[in-house]
Amino acid sequence: MFSVKPLKPTFKSYLLPVQTDLKQTPQPPIKKLEAKLLPGEIVVNEVSFVRKCIGADSSHGDLWGKLICTNFKVSFITHDALPKQRFQVANRLLGEHDVPLACVEQVVTVNDAKGKQKVLCSNQKLKFNPTELVLYCKDFRIIRFRFDEAGPQSAKKVCLAIAHYSQPADPQLLFGFEYIGKQYYGSLGERVNGVDPGGGLQMPLFDRPSEWDREIKRTGAAEWRVCSINEGYVVSPSLPEYVVVPVSLADQDLKQYLCFFTAHRIPLWCWNHPNGSALVRMASISDPLQQRKLDQRICSAITKSHPQRSDVLKSDLDKNLPNIQDIQAAFVKVRQICVIEPFEESEEKWLSSMESSRWLEYVRAFLKHSAEVVYLLEGKHVSVILQEEEDRDLSCVVSSLVQLMLDPHFRSLTGFQSLVQKEWVMAGHRFLHRCNHLKKNDKEESPLFQLFLDCVWQIINQYPAAFEFTETYLTVLSDSMWIPVFSTFLFNCPQQRTENSMDFAKSKCIPMGEEKALRFPPVWDWSQQFTPKDQALFNNPMYVGKGATCVQNGTVKSFRRTKKNYSSTLRGMPSSLRNILMDGHDSLTLTRRNSLVPRLKPDFSQIREVVESPTERFFRDWVSRPADLQGMLIPQLLPSHLALWRLYFLRWVPEASIPKGGPVTAYHKLSQLADEVEKLQSQLRQYKGATPASTPTSNPSAPPSDHSRMYFKAGSTHEPSSIPEYLSSSFPFSPVGNMCRRSILGTPLSKFLNGAKTWLSTETLANEAL
Amino acid sequence: MLLPKESVQDMAKDVTYICPYIGALRGTLTVTNYRLFFRCMDREPAFVLDLPLGVVSRVEKIGGASSRGEVSYGLVCKDIRNLRFAHKQMEDSLRKSIFEILMKFAFPVSNGLPIFAFEYGQVYPENGWKVYDAQAEYKRQGIPNESWRITKVNDHYEVCDTYPSNLVVPVNIPDEELKRVAAFRAKGRIPVLSWIHPESQATVTRCSQPMVGVNGKRSKDDEKYLQAIMDANAQSHKLFIFDARPSVNAAANKMKGGGYESEDAYQNAELVFLDIHNIHVMRESLRKLKEVVYPNIEESHWLSNLESTHWLEHIKLILAGALRIADKVESGKTSVVVHCSDGWDRTAQLTSLAMLMLDGHYRTIRGFQVLLEKEWLSFGHRFQLRIGHGDKNHTDADRSPVFLQFIDCVWQIARQFPAAFEFNEYFLVTILDHMYSCLFGTFMCNSEQQRVKEELPKKTVSLWAYINSQLEEFTNPLYVNYSNHVLFPVVSMRHLELWVGYYIRWNPRMRPQEPVHQRYKELLAKRAELQKRVEELQRDVTNRSASSTERAGSPTRSITPVQTFV
Repeated sequence: MFSVKPLKPTFKSYLLPVQTDLKQTPQPPIKKLEAKLLPGEIVVNEVSFVRKCIGADSSHGDLWGKLICTNFKVSFITHDALPKQRFQVANRLLGEHDVPLACVEQVVTVNDAKGKQKVLCSNQKLKFNPTELVLYCKDFRIIRFRFDEAGPQSAKKVCLAIAHYSQPADPQLLFGFEYIGKQYYGSLGERVNGVDPGGGLQMPLFDRPSEWDREIKRTGAAEWRVCSINEGYVVSPSLPEYVVVPVSLADQDLKQYLCFFTAHRIPLWCWNHPNGSALVRMASISDPLQQRKLDQRICSAITKSHPQRSDVLKSDLDKNLPNIQDIQAAFVKVRQICVIEPFEESEEKWLSSMESSRWLEYVRAFLKHSAEVVYLLEGKHVSVILQEEEDRDLSCVVSSLVQLMLDPHFRSLTGFQSLVQKEWVMAGHRFLHRCNHLKKNDKEESPLFQLFLDCVWQIINQYPAAFEFTETYLTVLSDSMWIPVFSTFLFNCPQQRTENSMDFAKSKCIPMGEEKALRFPPVWDWSQQFTPKDQALFNNPMYVGKGATCVQNGTVKSFRRTKKNYSSTLRGMPSSLRNILMDGHDSLTLTRRNSLVPRLKPDFSQIREVVESPTERFFRDWVSRPADLQGMLIPQLLPSHLALWRLYFLRWVPEASIPKGGPVTAYHKLSQLADEVEKLQSQLRQYKGATPASTPTSNPSAPPSDHSRMYFKAGSTHEPSSIPEYLSSSFPFSPVGNMCRRSILGTPLSKFLNGAKTWLSTETLANEAL
Repeated sequence: MLLPKESVQDMAKDVTYICPYIGALRGTLTVTNYRLFFRCMDREPAFVLDLPLGVVSRVEKIGGASSRGEVSYGLVCKDIRNLRFAHKQMEDSLRKSIFEILMKFAFPVSNGLPIFAFEYGQVYPENGWKVYDAQAEYKRQGIPNESWRITKVNDHYEVCDTYPSNLVVPVNIPDEELKRVAAFRAKGRIPVLSWIHPESQATVTRCSQPMVGVNGKRSKDDEKYLQAIMDANAQSHKLFIFDARPSVNAAANKMKGGGYESEDAYQNAELVFLDIHNIHVMRESLRKLKEVVYPNIEESHWLSNLESTHWLEHIKLILAGALRIADKVESGKTSVVVHCSDGWDRTAQLTSLAMLMLDGHYRTIRGFQVLLEKEWLSFGHRFQLRIGHGDKNHTDADRSPVFLQFIDCVWQIARQFPAAFEFNEYFLVTILDHMYSCLFGTFMCNSEQQRVKEELPKKTVSLWAYINSQLEEFTNPLYVNYSNHVLFPVVSMRHLELWVGYYIRWNPRMRPQEPVHQRYKELLAKRAELQKRVEELQRDVTNRSASSTERAGSPTRSITPVQTFV
């Protein structure tokens, strides 16, 4: 208990302080506080006698310990236990109080005696000795340390080190390089040749032709082929080495066309609908003179790849969706409202503030646009090209969402991961820039991936049994962006990974052998971060069906139902509607017109005709039938049906945490039941497998070993008499000790009774600084 | 398709229903003494509108006959809908329009007709009127005990005609003094016990405002009485008085003879205002909400439009007040007195919500029925006036969605604690729908006294008879009955949501479903099936091993029985 934080998750049982003191009386010899370091991690600076603030207004419950800055993280090592029953899922790469440097958004130092405060950047000087350090984190945590008892010079050095090391000058200074590089030194002897960077992962990473081939077969895209003209990234640095193109386009043709596309990004096949319609993404055509001709060539090639030779529609994403700066601005605002503004003050105008942040509006815009593409593919049987200037941002969101709505395979855990791998990592989404890991170019920073995860959450929220994974999974996936060791989020494109690997290997004399890049693990290798037990938190007990088996030989059984409906309702649609999306006059325009029509007031003064676009009718027809979770899923797009993703945005806010409540209480119950069902199934298997002679060793009634998918196991035969203390709406995270704001220990109402207006100087500071 | 005693009053073909979502639909309209029924056969599946007339708040003829000779009628409904019909003017001008017939039966009270609940004679297995027995409920709470007694002083509703006959008061206050206290409290609604904490003995008591007036009148009896309430709880030397109103409103009531307890007169008492607005503000807020949600919601300004209705803000204040009460009783072990002006609107909201947070019994289906019967019906929430059953006077200032707000608050708590309630969302919607439908007697009249006088239990069916006859439909499968689980919801706009399943349910884009519940039921069924199969196999194995041991003559091998989880 007094050693450095164990890596296994522990449920700390909370005893009242008085009792704890009694039990602790014979103090064991205090063990030295030392940072737990990963391979390649070094301590840069450290300072002792630091207080980590837990409560905002008093030092009650604060923790004493050592603050350490390494080349990977800000670490706080303490002997003290947190003052309240809490649960925090443990990360194998991080201690309980650690923050990776890549997760630090802003470093603020304060000297309250002098009334000074400063936002620290790399290579800066600090003219005062800080009494306080506040870290604003990318995962929305705000952590405060006090240096009242610490050595002023060491405190200052640690603050400067944190500021400096959280802004690396070069991608190769991101910790992942040292970390992975060390593995080449450390395990030279036992190195196995050609180790798959994914370890034992059972999912495609789409870095080899066979995996594309399999995806072509899975979706029945017979008229499409894998093309390797970009092998070695010779034609386009931002494209993957292998892409899928229409059979009718020869490599020669493509080589001829590619110079006309922005960054040589030729059209990329994403997915095929069982009806033969294809989803394709492409960059804009840079040469206006070639535009028409090239458009025709591409479209006719795609048409030729369609079994019914259906039309191709182009959807211009830049024209119809918010741009990356808009999205970043919305994200900054929503964070401001959720975690930085004083809780009570932001209550008053909460809804209108949310609206003015525009975050939910953008989430809805992407969902809506994707649903309209779904309509074209599914309802109109046409192929769709998603076009974006560079095809590296908005396209990633839309193409992934369309596939999630149409193909149940992508709603399984491995299916989802392969989708992100295919449409984001391989397609060259600039994770390095969008995450702003180097904090160099703020204009490039944009939370596209977080926006995508929020969109996925909205669908999960509406269809909770349709996905194999949970919102915890999505949250943890987002947090993993700030642990800079995963190949998934470190680079702007696969080529950059290769290039940086080679440079780094050369400079560090790492023998690379045949390998093209350092073996950065993909984030999908979850054992890097979590124990198998904790990974069970990703599993949705309600999930219906094992998605992977649904598409076979290019036919999806469950699609038949919907297909029939549309052909009947949509026959005889005027052909003028075909180019709806092309002109940008999609149903957004129609609904806007709609909203100008005065609502039916109680005085019934006007009669009006109902204007309903074919898309809307398609959605309404679909909604009027029971949803088939193994078929197409369209989210409900009324603004009233989109919600704030509370776990993601509010998990660190103590005031917003519902004690012993929140969706997790239902998840708890469901998991236990699902676990019982699994246990019974395995018993049944054992009975069937067991021959009468082999009874003693395989006693069927013995509970099966912990192969359960469920985090919460079926317990004893009786119902628990009380609800587990650690369940809260923030589970499996804990807001305790993560915010430098007023704590709400004791009665849940202390904020009411004490008046909630007392806020710390840092809060105001945050407003100024951001 | 007709209910017992339901009869067709009129029928018209070629009526047009102008649906705000689909457009004009032509079909047949039928009006009975209970409902309006419209069916359009042109569509597949047929479009049907089935509406109890009790839901109708107002019927309006719109304009004169149009060029096509059609007359339009608009129906404003109490359940957030407006319906609009058009039909040809009758050739035979002597014949009444079907909408005139409709008006007659939609407002029976105004037309000297009986409300349908008095005719409906459906027999259910259970007599719902027996769900609530005041004495049994007080007994469950451990009352009478050494500090509290049940008084019969109001047996004939003489002390207070809006209170129930059974009242729980401090032991050491004799009935004579109760009458003097009643004289000092508005409408004679003296402080009486609603709930007592099983361990700390801290109590929730309710009453109306004291008749302080502009001159700051005092009553020794009332002061002594509140002191007795405080003394009944040995754990605390304080008493909290929660005045539901904004302090300005409370002060303004002094002009009308009312007011609030001054802390000078009531030693050891602390007065807190909860800032909840009056019935008129709430009515206006709901009117605005209806404008925002029906028929369509404006896409671009949804959240600010919702904010401008203040509906969720009112919900928040009510919940915050109830939470403070529950927290004071549970965490502070302190007794509380709750009142507003008359103590039948905001007070009912606050005490019943606090009790719901404090006592898991009220979160069961039957317990919730008891809670409504007790805190709302027996303590005289004026349902007849607030809803205006069968009354055409739709502008009546006494109408207000006080009870709807309460149900909304319950839904909000259930959202935050999805496993803490035995009932589901459909249960809450059903209660609201039948509060308006006038099919059951439960929500008729304004007080217990009136219900007794009207012989409602004899002449009408209780809603609980219907609900308890098909509990399966109203049960939340996720419910876990954790003992001593006090709910402290987070009362913040961050967690409050518009109840789309109620307010936006008429929108065809809204998919009514409870997938989590449905999935849980599927899993339960699967578990049962698997258990059966495992048990069968186990029996086989047992039989086989039994026969083999017989042959071998070895001692019987015991096989651990399959663990069953119930």
